Amino acid sequence: MARRFVTVWCPDWPVVAAGLPPDEPAIVIRANRVVARSAVAAAEGVVAGQRRRQAQQCCPDATLVDHDPGRDARAFEPVVQVIGRFTPRVELIEPGWSCLDARGPSRYFGGDEGLAARLVAAIGEVTPAAVGVGVADGRFASAIAARRSGAGLDGCSVVVAPGGSPAFVAPLPVAWLHQLGEIDAELVGLFARLGLARLGVLAALPAADVLARFGPPGSRAHRLAKGTDDRPPAGSEPPQQRAVERVFDDPVTDLGPLVFTGKQLADELVAGLSADGSVCTRLVIVAETEEAERTERVWYRAGGMSAPAMVERLRWQLDGWLGTFANHAGDPDGPVRGEERAGGGGRIRSGVVLLRLTPDEVRRDDGDQLGLWGGRSAADERATRAVTRLAGLVGDEGVLVPAWRGGRLPGERYDWVSATSTDLIDADDTAERLRPRLAGPWPGTLPAPSPAVVPAAVRPAELVDVAGRPVVVGGRGELSAAPVSLTIDGGRAQPVTAWAGPWPLDERWWDPGRRRRLARFQVVTDDGGAHLVLAEHRRWWVAAWYG
Amino acid sequence: MDLAAAVARTALAGERTLPVAAPLAPLLPDGALVRGRTVACQGVAATSLALALTVEATSAGGWLAVVDIPWLGVEAAGELGIPLERLVRVDPGPERRQVWADLLAAVLDGFDLVVTRVPAGIGQGTLRRVRSRAQARGAVLITLGASDGASADVMMHTATVTWEGIAAGHGHLRARRVGVESSGRRVPVPRRVDVWLPGPDGTLGVVGDVGPAAQARHCFELRPVG
Repeated sequence: MARRFVTVWCPDWPVVAAGLPPDEPAIVIRANRVVARSAVAAAEGVVAGQRRRQAQQCCPDATLVDHDPGRDARAFEPVVQVIGRFTPRVELIEPGWSCLDARGPSRYFGGDEGLAARLVAAIGEVTPAAVGVGVADGRFASAIAARRSGAGLDGCSVVVAPGGSPAFVAPLPVAWLHQLGEIDAELVGLFARLGLARLGVLAALPAADVLARFGPPGSRAHRLAKGTDDRPPAGSEPPQQRAVERVFDDPVTDLGPLVFTGKQLADELVAGLSADGSVCTRLVIVAETEEAERTERVWYRAGGMSAPAMVERLRWQLDGWLGTFANHAGDPDGPVRGEERAGGGGRIRSGVVLLRLTPDEVRRDDGDQLGLWGGRSAADERATRAVTRLAGLVGDEGVLVPAWRGGRLPGERYDWVSATSTDLIDADDTAERLRPRLAGPWPGTLPAPSPAVVPAAVRPAELVDVAGRPVVVGGRGELSAAPVSLTIDGGRAQPVTAWAGPWPLDERWWDPGRRRRLARFQVVTDDGGAHLVLAEHRRWWVAAWYG
Repeated sequence: MDLAAAVARTALAGERTLPVAAPLAPLLPDGALVRGRTVACQGVAATSLALALTVEATSAGGWLAVVDIPWLGVEAAGELGIPLERLVRVDPGPERRQVWADLLAAVLDGFDLVVTRVPAGIGQGTLRRVRSRAQARGAVLITLGASDGASADVMMHTATVTWEGIAAGHGHLRARRVGVESSGRRVPVPRRVDVWLPGPDGTLGVVGDVGPAAQARHCFELRPVG
């Protein structure tokens, strides 16, 4: 019998966390993509993952807000405290999404329906956001139930009867596996292409065949599609000895050093686990202060957590906790059970002296979690944020990234496109931008090295022979005499020490308006400078420098 | 609070530097680019040298911003080994002198490596502010051209440049020997290294270090062009 789970999901939490009223169009953006949108914007056709421009086209009067995961976590803290009144063990997946074991609280609060109704009512007291509560066998099915209830009528809940999860998920599309089950989008796309469009169809396949054909990720997808718990039959026992902790001699009150220490601990933990070939799916983060105030949170991630993902969660948790200290939040309206007590008290009077990370549940590492959460580094985040800020200073057209265009002259091969209109992080997007798969070879280009200085416009030049006469290019590209000196733009005449060419180029001869016929030369002058010189329209031009 | 800022304060010695390609390491006082310092590149091959300095750090995940250098050859950067997906160009527009300092402050916040040129007429006070910003954010500032050379931590000059593979009327540019000299405040005794920028095999190397395979290709291979 699979374990029953309750999932609490607040749709589009980043919009709520940003303090935007739910009845106005609002979009939260990260790295130029829509992260979340208000219901009004959603009605206009804005969807998560859309580019900013498209979203603005759909809904021009929407308020745009930058995404701030820290803000989301801080704002979610009161909700977690409320849920903490129902059960001591709340698993957080991300801000706006948490999960709890249904068994105990459900029995205490009068059944699944009673528990769900009480949860909705209690959460409604602390946040104006819509809440979806789903109860089902297994985390995956309960997450889907919560999504469906959250997307439907406000505050209603979906309860799947015990044993009903397989039937509940069977008619649903396999895309849920990617959305909620952390199955690779490519694999989900493959399922769809193979005709396994619905979870039920996938679940009907023999498990051994799925494993043989798709490997461990496929096997995991198969277990999820069956609608029961995603844990493998032989669930690993938590290796308690793996817990890592750091005791501070001097109490720490700042988030920065705590996060830094957390990073070291996370690296240590991940290194230890990966040596065993396992990955942490559920992590308990504990922090204690000098006066025994304590925060303990359980974080869950089906795909397993990399070290940066652990640090991210640590930061969310501590930011919310230390934030309650700064904000002087009042006492919550009621006693708080278990480990939520200190966090609920909301007043940290002293510095943190202990930080501990405990892997609560591990599974065998299928080697598939790369790029899900750990794929985006802190440097990537900083750079994308800086790009947004720079675009505010110099405009969208002042912040540019290269994009492949193709051509035979150095200035033609790459275009510069606005950085704000492109996704800088997505690996597929950048690969397509910089070297599209369909880009053919360009016969007739000069071999490497390429010039490092490529001005936007060519400069007029003079190339003269030993007698001081201009060097002329014949009809077949041959020179009238060996060049002896090069003058660029009326400047100083520089003696030529070496030269090579011609490499004739006759482009678009079928199009009289855009035809180009020219000959390329490389000319080295006595200072070591090398130039790409063009003969076009019976004149000499310098197109680029090998600077 | 930013993780980078948190790390910057308590960083260990190894994290205060960004890696640099081995052939260029002897030119730098710590054998690497120290975060917060400025490097000035001058001479005929200054642009390639500046790009070459950033190759290792960008390959390791760092981002490179190129400010006020609209003529940067993307292909040359790619051939040297810079991952182009982490290259961003920032143009200050017509009022470059007025906005340059503000722009750099914003750029230094987000990028580990910044290549720029100092516009004429920028005062020493402004330069100092920009430099202390780089120090606070732990970025490496690389400048091109003459105007900032005197006050940079490390000044690099491409003193001699010799091209290989090209002669009077035949061949093509294939490899470049560059004698790079470094001096400046952090380099008490001027140093000099002869590097391939790039070598016959297209990569950075120390002159004299060219493997037999590359040398053979350098001598005999005739590549079809045109």
